[in-house]
Amino acid sequence: MRQQYARRTQLIIAIMGFVAFAIIFQMVRIQNSSQAPDFLGLGDGFQYEWKTVFPDRGEIYDRNGHLLAGNKTVYEVTVDLKNVQSAETIASTLSRELGSDYATVLNQIQNPDPGIVSVTVANSVDQKDGLRLLELTNNDATGDLRGLNFIKHPKRSYPENKLASNVIGYVNGDGLGYFGVEEKYNNILAGNAVPVAVPVDPNKVSEIPHIPNGTTLILTLNRDLQASAEKILDDAVSKYGATRGTIVIMDPQTGELLTMASTRRMDLNQIWDYGSTFDNASDYNPAISVPYEPGSVLKILTMAAALDSGTVTPGTTYMDTGVIYVGGVPIQNWDRNPWGIQDMTGCLQHSLNVCMATLSTSMGATTFYSYMDKFGLGHLTGVDMGGEAAGRLKIPGDGDWYPVDLGTNAFGQGVAVTPIQIMTAASAIANHGNSVTPHVLYATVRHERQYKSDAVFSGSPISAQTADTLNEMLANSLEYEGSMALVDGYRIAGKTGTAQIPGEYESDSTNASFIGWGPVDDPKFMIYVWLERPTASIWGSETAAPVFAQMAQKTILLLNIPPDSVRKQLAQQ
Amino acid sequence: MNIQNVNHLVHAYKIAPWRVQRQWIGAVLIVAIALAMISAIFLDVSSRTALAGREILSLTAAISTSQKNSGDLQTQLALLTSASVMEQRAQDLGFHAVETADMEYVIVPGYTAPEPKILSSSSLPQLSALSIPPEYNESLFEWLDKKIASSSRGR
Repeated sequence: MRQQYARRTQLIIAIMGFVAFAIIFQMVRIQNSSQAPDFLGLGDGFQYEWKTVFPDRGEIYDRNGHLLAGNKTVYEVTVDLKNVQSAETIASTLSRELGSDYATVLNQIQNPDPGIVSVTVANSVDQKDGLRLLELTNNDATGDLRGLNFIKHPKRSYPENKLASNVIGYVNGDGLGYFGVEEKYNNILAGNAVPVAVPVDPNKVSEIPHIPNGTTLILTLNRDLQASAEKILDDAVSKYGATRGTIVIMDPQTGELLTMASTRRMDLNQIWDYGSTFDNASDYNPAISVPYEPGSVLKILTMAAALDSGTVTPGTTYMDTGVIYVGGVPIQNWDRNPWGIQDMTGCLQHSLNVCMATLSTSMGATTFYSYMDKFGLGHLTGVDMGGEAAGRLKIPGDGDWYPVDLGTNAFGQGVAVTPIQIMTAASAIANHGNSVTPHVLYATVRHERQYKSDAVFSGSPISAQTADTLNEMLANSLEYEGSMALVDGYRIAGKTGTAQIPGEYESDSTNASFIGWGPVDDPKFMIYVWLERPTASIWGSETAAPVFAQMAQKTILLLNIPPDSVRKQLAQQ
Repeated sequence: MNIQNVNHLVHAYKIAPWRVQRQWIGAVLIVAIALAMISAIFLDVSSRTALAGREILSLTAAISTSQKNSGDLQTQLALLTSASVMEQRAQDLGFHAVETADMEYVIVPGYTAPEPKILSSSSLPQLSALSIPPEYNESLFEWLDKKIASSSRGR
């Protein structure tokens, strides 16, 4: 009996041993078979689930913390076609709740393209509407709304609508930035949807990939100053009958752009208006994208070159006969009259073309164009916005350069520059000979820390002594002239510009400009005004100059700049 | 019961045929109980880790939702306080824009002009999976290994 039990036990042990061996053998065989990678892949598929993460695109603030571009949550409403019970109910509900077109939605559901299993019937649905529709779907006892799905994702939102739209740019439906800061810093603002594998096993929580949000940008813009500039510009364009206008305000000591306003602005929350607002891409931000002949504002650079090269001193005089021949072509003053004996301040005060042509020819082409090159004409300034144009400075040796260009270039004709290029060049005069790189990025915020962008100097085209001398001459010339650009209590340096438009030299169409900065002894702002084709008056001194004064007064108020007398008292303490 | 009887019982126990079997059973039981205890501890730690992991997942989701809600509210607030809205509100309340002639500057000793905003708060901890302490994701064996390593270093 006992022996019989022993035999049975041995048999059971043998069978179990065999089964165990077979299992182990099979495990080893499977793991080393050719299908092993497939099985492993299949297993891994159950360990992770794929999710699409929508990191927020970085926000954009002005220098005082006002939000210029943020994100809001919206819903994409889709229909899972195989679960639809009543296409009519879904279409009527969407029509009622979201204002969708009933027939379009019904057609999308009933006549999908071959192979399509899900259709998007509404996108960018506001959170409030989306939640209401979601609740309706969840509480639908009949099942008629079965098949509706809701995908939550962030969408760019611009609380200030049109304000600073030329600087900010916009983001399209695919999350790509166009124009301005949105384009220039698209990579660091990022925030594009990323598919990630999330481990199902909670023990592997540390393997969940961390998708950081985009970097937040703080701009140098001052929102309130920007709003004022846009209002002043709109009024000026209307008052002077101009076709277009631009106002840019920069801190000439740091290159920080405080304001950049242009007429033709679009509501950034309605990007579909782009086509009807702008004729072409360069219209988006003319301050950096549209080169034009600036006219007499360029005389400050010619004078700077003449002083710095030692060709003249402020006291140097010359006899203005009203005409000078350069390359065999006569060049006359703006009023076609002779102005007699003039010193260099008089040249600037009366904006004499003959004087400037005399200076450039005295310097010679090599010296003159060398200075213009150092001032950055014909080069990109490096301003941190998408779409900057380099303009054009013809130089000897170029196929389209003629000797007369040496004369005309000296007073801003035959040369194409953008407002931002002139400001960059003029910053050297306002800033003791050092020109700054204009920029709109004040700081970035990432990983809960703020990183400031420092001012970058782009060169020293002239000496500090030349800059200070010219500063004084420009301030005096405005005061002697009794310019409409003057501001009570503040000493301002600047220059008007009136340039006939190339191709329309015989007509009354002009570009009226003014560049000025103040207070002269410690410049806190540099303002550029450009009015295109003003009809009330063709002269920059009667159109752009008063707009400058108006803008300067607003700037002084918003930047809290005390009058010169108060600042002197402060300095004496 | 005298001493002879006791010796007899001891002798009988020593020569009993089931004695060896009992010893084997005892040894196996001790090993089984030890294994069961280790398994119980392992199961307890694993389940706690799993619970903590689930909690982290739900907290991470909650943080993400809160951040998105915060972004939403921030944008709504910015809409309500945009330049045009604030200007309109000021006008409705009877204010008008200040002119340079309205301004009177007073010298205030020690006054410094306001600086641009600092938007970040570097004192906030960085929210990422990397900040999860080891108690929540290390295994029992890793914990034991660490303890043994630290005790051997202590000697």
